[in-house]
Amino acid sequence: MSRRPTHQATSGRGAGRAVPHLDGTRRLRNRCIFVAGLFVLIAGAFTWRLVTLQVLEPDRYLAHGVAQRIRTVTLPAGRGAIVDRNGVDLALSVPRSTVVADPRLVEDPARTARALVGVLDTDYGVLLDRLSSDRSFVYLDRQVDDVVAEEVLGLELPGLYTIQERARERPGDGSALSLLGRTDIDSNGISGLELVYDDLLSGTTGQMVVEVGARGATIPGGDYRIDPAQEGLTLVISIDRSLQFEAERLLADGVEAANAEAGVLVAMRPETGEVLASATVVRDADGVVRPSSDHRAVTWTYEPGSIVKPLTFSAVLETGIGSPSASRPVDNWVNVADADFKDSFAHEEEDWTVADILRQSSNVGTILWAIDLGASRLYDQLVEFGLGSTTGLDFPGEASGILPSLTNWSGTSLPTIAIGQGVATTPMQMLIAYATLANDGLRPAPTMVLGTRDNDGVFEMMPTPTPERVFPAEHAAEIATMMEDVVLSGTGTRAQVPGYRVAGKTGTAWKPHPDGGYGLEQGEVSYVASFAGFLPAEAPELAILVVIDEPTYPTYSGGSAAAPVFAEFAQFAVRQMRVPSEDERVGLEESGRVIAATPAQVQALAEAQAELERLAAGDDEVAGTARG
Amino acid sequence: MTAITWPLRGERTRSDTTSSIWSAVAVSVLAGFFALLALAGFHSVLVNGQHGIDRLQDRLDAGREQAQVLRMEVARLESPDRILEVAQGRLRMVPPPARVYLASVVPGDPRDPVPAPSANPFSRTRP
Repeated sequence: MSRRPTHQATSGRGAGRAVPHLDGTRRLRNRCIFVAGLFVLIAGAFTWRLVTLQVLEPDRYLAHGVAQRIRTVTLPAGRGAIVDRNGVDLALSVPRSTVVADPRLVEDPARTARALVGVLDTDYGVLLDRLSSDRSFVYLDRQVDDVVAEEVLGLELPGLYTIQERARERPGDGSALSLLGRTDIDSNGISGLELVYDDLLSGTTGQMVVEVGARGATIPGGDYRIDPAQEGLTLVISIDRSLQFEAERLLADGVEAANAEAGVLVAMRPETGEVLASATVVRDADGVVRPSSDHRAVTWTYEPGSIVKPLTFSAVLETGIGSPSASRPVDNWVNVADADFKDSFAHEEEDWTVADILRQSSNVGTILWAIDLGASRLYDQLVEFGLGSTTGLDFPGEASGILPSLTNWSGTSLPTIAIGQGVATTPMQMLIAYATLANDGLRPAPTMVLGTRDNDGVFEMMPTPTPERVFPAEHAAEIATMMEDVVLSGTGTRAQVPGYRVAGKTGTAWKPHPDGGYGLEQGEVSYVASFAGFLPAEAPELAILVVIDEPTYPTYSGGSAAAPVFAEFAQFAVRQMRVPSEDERVGLEESGRVIAATPAQVQALAEAQAELERLAAGDDEVAGTARG
Repeated sequence: MTAITWPLRGERTRSDTTSSIWSAVAVSVLAGFFALLALAGFHSVLVNGQHGIDRLQDRLDAGREQAQVLRMEVARLESPDRILEVAQGRLRMVPPPARVYLASVVPGDPRDPVPAPSANPFSRTRP
């Protein structure tokens, strides 16, 4: 018996109603066809989508994928440090936190601004404006201390966070500020050496391309390319930090003692033209004398006064119209082109040698010799010394001074310029002129930068121009001898340095008023006191210029206002530079005598010793190979 | 006599083949599984290594920045301005009216006017 159900009911409720077997099968088939069709449609849609993604628009989606997983990171180049001649840091960049915000995430700008105003150095109004903006990134306070950054983050305000930046800092605060200069908040040099050597200090920004996963982690074996940042070079400048600090301190004391308005002190190695210290101090509105950001050694011009006389006499000696021992009668006054010129001290007419005239700083005697010399020769000599033109330091704002061209000289130009009036120079120009006297008549090219050091420590020396000969060496020695007399028994006795022979010259110049003229009455005259010299006179290692602007009576002369500062500084400088005294020089060739050296000299000696040993080892190897 | 009924030749071969195929499939699946497992393990090691490299790079960057901060701090502590400030402020030292400079000749120099100390000059006990 078949157990198959009958397809047709014969009794009951369904009896008589036809339920065709074929209908159910067809329905089922239709459903299957529908479902299959649906699947086909879905599959078709997926297929179409895949074709769209993979064939029709692959680049767009590839780019989208790359954008999601490829991260390009800019690698900032650190700004190089500025170090002194001994490798001491003078300016360097350090990481600092910057407080920023995403205003779209800030829930209550007013409340957030109120909370921040006591922490950040930004006004409430500024904070509120920034936090209320519709941008996604705003600075709130840049390059703050870590303590401040932590305090801000501790407030746990939504939308606030910190990023790292690099701030330029000077460990010595205001010391050498006029020389080093400043950078803006983005570490671009805007003044001083920071500006002049911005290209070397800045370096080159790098880039890193890395493939990252969902959480920002690097995908192993993924795309990874790095173009490393080139860090800025370290600038090794010729300044000695200790000398710079002492120069600023002593100069400030000197300006205070003379009750003056400002002062400039510059020190240089005459042989190389390396500037060892360059200090500028100014009395501020509160009456306090402090280091200035204005590098007056090159930006300020003044009438130098009697410190020009050695330059005048160098021309006298060079042309052969006089010698240190040549004498002539010198009165207390002289009339040239209807103008009277007097000495600063009363005296009868006396026979004075050139050396006597310089020692006593006689205006009349100098003018008489200058008349014999002639305007053209004096002018040429001053031009040779570098007066009237920039020094080649390329310092921002450097002044060229004023040396009137010969065609513009009046009848009184020769006598006034011969004694240092009617001509304007920068302190640096005068120092270079004295360095020329100290350097046997060779004018050194001044430099404030010794070279650069890269991140591997390789030092590259900065090229320096060759010194130019201004006048013969024998005349330089004669001038130096006469200038020694100035310090031994002339107007510059307060510039003496125990143990060292010093050659120098005082200058007490009248300062022109802004509206012209120098003033006639005693109270109307303002002075600029200066002392320029070098030591040890027999083998100069240091040339120093001290200028005191507007000293007041009774400490108004170069001998009383500037010379003591020179002596104090020189006494410190010779010890700092390990310049042996006259006594120490005697018998220096004896075996066993050792003179202490600066760290830079020790390093140079060690490097030279290592190089010698390396060369010797190389020679031994070569010899061994040859023998083998 | 016991009669042994051997399977037919064709039936035995089919069964063996099927068994071999299943064995091969099983072995392949296992091999594939273990290969994938090894690959996953290797990938995990690679990812961990990369994380380690990332962490070291971060530490290196942080160390460099810290070194720069410390370098700045050293320079600040060594600056003459700060030394003078501490000496005259916290230590209450007073600048001398005149400075005495010693000759820059090291002890033992035949021309040294001052003989080198024979005993420790900083010793607290009298010789």
